[in-house]
Amino acid sequence: MRNIPDKNVMLFKSCLVSGEYPGVESSTKYVFDKVGIEYIADDRQSCCTGLGHYSDVYDQFSTTVIGGRNFNIAKKTNHAKIAMMCSTCYAIHKKVAKLLNNNEKVREDVNNVYEEANLSEMKYEEGSIDSSNNIFHVIELLYNKKDEIGKNIKIDLSKFRIATHHACHYCKIQYEDAIKGFRDPTILDDLIKSCGVETVGWYDHKRATCGAGFRQRFVNRDLSMKVTSDKLLSLNEEKIDILVHMCPNCQMQFDRYQPFIGKELNIDFNIFHLNIVQLIAFLMGADPYKVMGIQTHTVPIEPLIEKVK
Amino acid sequence: MDTLKIDENPLDLAEKILKDIKSSEGMGLLKCIQCGMCTSMCPGARNSDYNPRDMIERVLEGDETIIEDENIWNCFYCYTCHSICPVGNSACEVNQILRQMAINKGIANDKVRPFTGFIDVMMDLGLGKIPSIFHDDLTRDIGEEWKEKNLHLDEIREELGLKPLSMPKESIKEIRSLLKLTKLDKRVEKINE
Repeated sequence: MRNIPDKNVMLFKSCLVSGEYPGVESSTKYVFDKVGIEYIADDRQSCCTGLGHYSDVYDQFSTTVIGGRNFNIAKKTNHAKIAMMCSTCYAIHKKVAKLLNNNEKVREDVNNVYEEANLSEMKYEEGSIDSSNNIFHVIELLYNKKDEIGKNIKIDLSKFRIATHHACHYCKIQYEDAIKGFRDPTILDDLIKSCGVETVGWYDHKRATCGAGFRQRFVNRDLSMKVTSDKLLSLNEEKIDILVHMCPNCQMQFDRYQPFIGKELNIDFNIFHLNIVQLIAFLMGADPYKVMGIQTHTVPIEPLIEKVK
Repeated sequence: MDTLKIDENPLDLAEKILKDIKSSEGMGLLKCIQCGMCTSMCPGARNSDYNPRDMIERVLEGDETIIEDENIWNCFYCYTCHSICPVGNSACEVNQILRQMAINKGIANDKVRPFTGFIDVMMDLGLGKIPSIFHDDLTRDIGEEWKEKNLHLDEIREELGLKPLSMPKESIKEIRSLLKLTKLDKRVEKINE
């Protein structure tokens, strides 16, 4: 079991969180403060390259140079425990750390780039960021605080049917690090349980991708939508009210395209999409517009809030 | 009797892939037993002619035409195959490397050109944003509210206690000079040719 930190944490900003669901960032900060996690966010941090990387336009070396620069910011601010809100940021940085530690040639080439750019202070020292012990997903930090979370819950959701969508880039790439399984991942289910609610657990397609597929959503839409609709149909059959997410790209795929797919299939999907941190913040009594950020959602969350009142 | 060609190594392609920077250490490509588990769980295979088992077979036979095969572009990069392979192979990583080979050969520019906007935004702002080339499609499929959200993003962020999206100028300069040194700008120029 990896040591999960609660201090010296750099909350790594994600472009899809920032631009699509900024409420995920404000909710993370809200919950971190409630459960006592010490963190910073740093404006100098750049995008991880993930969306472009997995659309094949970045080469792995460029991504590694960018990753090493972000590691340097985490180290020099003494916040080298890096927590990701996006599963692709998580996977990208683990890969970068492994390359920088285990591949001497890549490390040398990367360091030469820093030197040539007059940024020698960025030079990467072997072993200074460990894939398993420095790079985390926000939900792992929260899992470590699940008793604290339980104490702060004010709203009961037990009348709803809740399912979880575990992001592929969290539990299928560096699967050896997934702290609650990867064949039937349960970290989200366990976190929701700590809020006093049982999820439906396993369902058909639980492990399946959201269907975004990086390039597929943008240039191969029908293929992408088919995969997303297979999962939505399975959730519909289970009569799911809320699907809980841990990655802004998956959340975008389901929340943004559910109405579109519903129209195509002539099915009224009534599934709310919330990130786990939005859900926890909500259950702790956070404001829907000032913390959860439901105003950027495509599937309105207001009817859920009404039902809870 | 057929003559055995001993001067050709069918594993050249596989060995090149294993040495690629994207290849995970100890990847079990050469241990593939063609069980087909990868294909059985693949969302691309379920809905198109992409077949990761077949792709690996062709790689192991040294069949370089796989690099030109249209079907490799249907992988979702979901890594399901990678997480379940009984011998630790990663069809997903092999696919990514084959696509890079296609790009380097200059035969995949049409495939990746739409995505160079990700690099433009990174060079300009140090951030990642959905390239504007896709905005009309997204607005059509998602709705006008999505476009409205983009227009009012800074106000929404302020309401949430978050600063506007921007990096210090000095940091953007760093990103730009680093990515020029990795020759990413040249790569994009080539893709845009």
